[in-house]
Amino acid sequence: MIEMLTLAKKELTDLRRSRLLLVLFAFLAVAVILSVVVASADFRLKIADYRHYLDALKAAGSTAAAPAPQLFPLQMLRGGMEYLEIIGSLFAVVLGASMITKEKGRGTLALIFSRPLGRYAFAGGKILALSLIWATTMGALFLVIVATLLLVGNAPLQGGDYLALAIVAAHTTGYLIMWSLLAMTLATLALRTGTGLILALVLWLVVVLIIPQIGDTMDPDNQIPGGLFASLQVDKSHEQAVMAHFTGYETTRDLIEQTSVTKQYERATFAYLGIKNEYNQQSLSFIWAGTFNNTLWLLAGLATSLGAALLSGTKKTILRKAP
Amino acid sequence: MTATAISTTALTKRYGTAQALNELNLSVPAGEIFGLLGHNGAGKTTIVNILTTLLEPSTGTAEIGGRDIGTAAHQVRSTIGYLPENVQFYDNLTLVENLLFFAHLSGVQAPRARIREVLKFLDFTGHDSQRMSSFSKGMRQRAGIAQAILHEPSVLFLDEPTSGLDPQGVAKLREIIISLNTQLGMTIFMNTHLLAEVTKTCTSIGILSAGTLIYQDSMAATLESFPAQESLEDIYLHIEASQRS
Repeated sequence: MIEMLTLAKKELTDLRRSRLLLVLFAFLAVAVILSVVVASADFRLKIADYRHYLDALKAAGSTAAAPAPQLFPLQMLRGGMEYLEIIGSLFAVVLGASMITKEKGRGTLALIFSRPLGRYAFAGGKILALSLIWATTMGALFLVIVATLLLVGNAPLQGGDYLALAIVAAHTTGYLIMWSLLAMTLATLALRTGTGLILALVLWLVVVLIIPQIGDTMDPDNQIPGGLFASLQVDKSHEQAVMAHFTGYETTRDLIEQTSVTKQYERATFAYLGIKNEYNQQSLSFIWAGTFNNTLWLLAGLATSLGAALLSGTKKTILRKAP
Repeated sequence: MTATAISTTALTKRYGTAQALNELNLSVPAGEIFGLLGHNGAGKTTIVNILTTLLEPSTGTAEIGGRDIGTAAHQVRSTIGYLPENVQFYDNLTLVENLLFFAHLSGVQAPRARIREVLKFLDFTGHDSQRMSSFSKGMRQRAGIAQAILHEPSVLFLDEPTSGLDPQGVAKLREIIISLNTQLGMTIFMNTHLLAEVTKTCTSIGILSAGTLIYQDSMAATLESFPAQESLEDIYLHIEASQRS
């Protein structure tokens, strides 16, 4: 256990002083926060506009009831979540792979493994460091997001909203750790330093971009701007009736999307943030029941990457693949 | 009778069809500075990697201080120190942070005090808070020796320790190696190409050719046995040529 903590501490110190990684993390944080700031400012303006409208009505002596705009503060995270889903996972891949390629490039593996370490100490130390980095970064990022929603957006957050944000932060942390561990495993198993990173980037491209894009393209709502059914002014019940004739098509589209852990992550987090209409303003228990499978798939991805990173990080495997 | 620090019995390593080591029988008494000589690809690094438990032999056995490298690998690792060729360390960490990391991995008690002691022994003080990225090759080699002896190993393996060093660096390293042997009683096993250094440093030598140990004797006996040869380089070339013919 001491060896594992020693390895994790070394990684954290090394990363803290790595300018490249600090720039990457700062870029990700700024992109996410900026998107939330812009959305929050817009939210605030819409609320202010509505209040001005009410004041104007009152001043004119009107008694007409002005319907409140449909504004949901957690939906302001949509842009930020997409950045975390795509750019965040890309950085996670770079971070995970670099933890191994740097050891291979420096020749420090021989120094580490010629010491009396436990079988899983090396991989365990790296996993612990990655988990701490992502948990801390996401914890801090979501705190800033909450502060932005409250201060910039004047958003009236309720108790359930905070819990939903905490659940989304946990999902995001797990999702990013999974990508880092997958990249770490591939970098360990690759004989050449760059090959592991390239393999991880190809996997990232397929899972994060290509598969979700295929699913999105097949979605009837994405066939024309604004949505097919909305533009035809077909309501939800009629839409469902129409789609009942295309169950095979929908099942295929769903299966394609389900093969991407990114899509599973997106479905779960978008549900908790109310971005998915069917889950907006629903109770957390309703959302939990509806997205349990997505969370389970994400956990399965995390468990698989964790197991793969542990098994590939043993002395025997890693030294066989060291230059 | 002198105890044996390193011994191998019919040690063989194959990479597919290529034979890196061929039934190697080697014995290095405790307290020696043993120099293993051989041309590139002779199997020198392979034998160091096996003896430091980084690589498993195909067949045969080896012992360090009477402990089998296969069945007692964990104990063997506690008793050896190792400095590979061209190691670079963690550039973002200071000298002391690097050494603390390796001291903790080796289970050193009171690591900070031990690091101070080792750096003083190596005459390498005043660089504690300096990041390794600013170190010269010679300074890195001294840091390398420091990490290798933090846990007071009884056997120290050095793979091409003088590689890339300037003459002053080579002389300083020689002084350190001899001090480690004479003052701390460490057995030292080194691979090197620098035969002039071997003459000045080693107490015994072995010559490896195509994975086979073709010669082993003390340095004094070697120099006496080949009076016609002017230097160790001539002796080495003579033995290699005799083997080929």
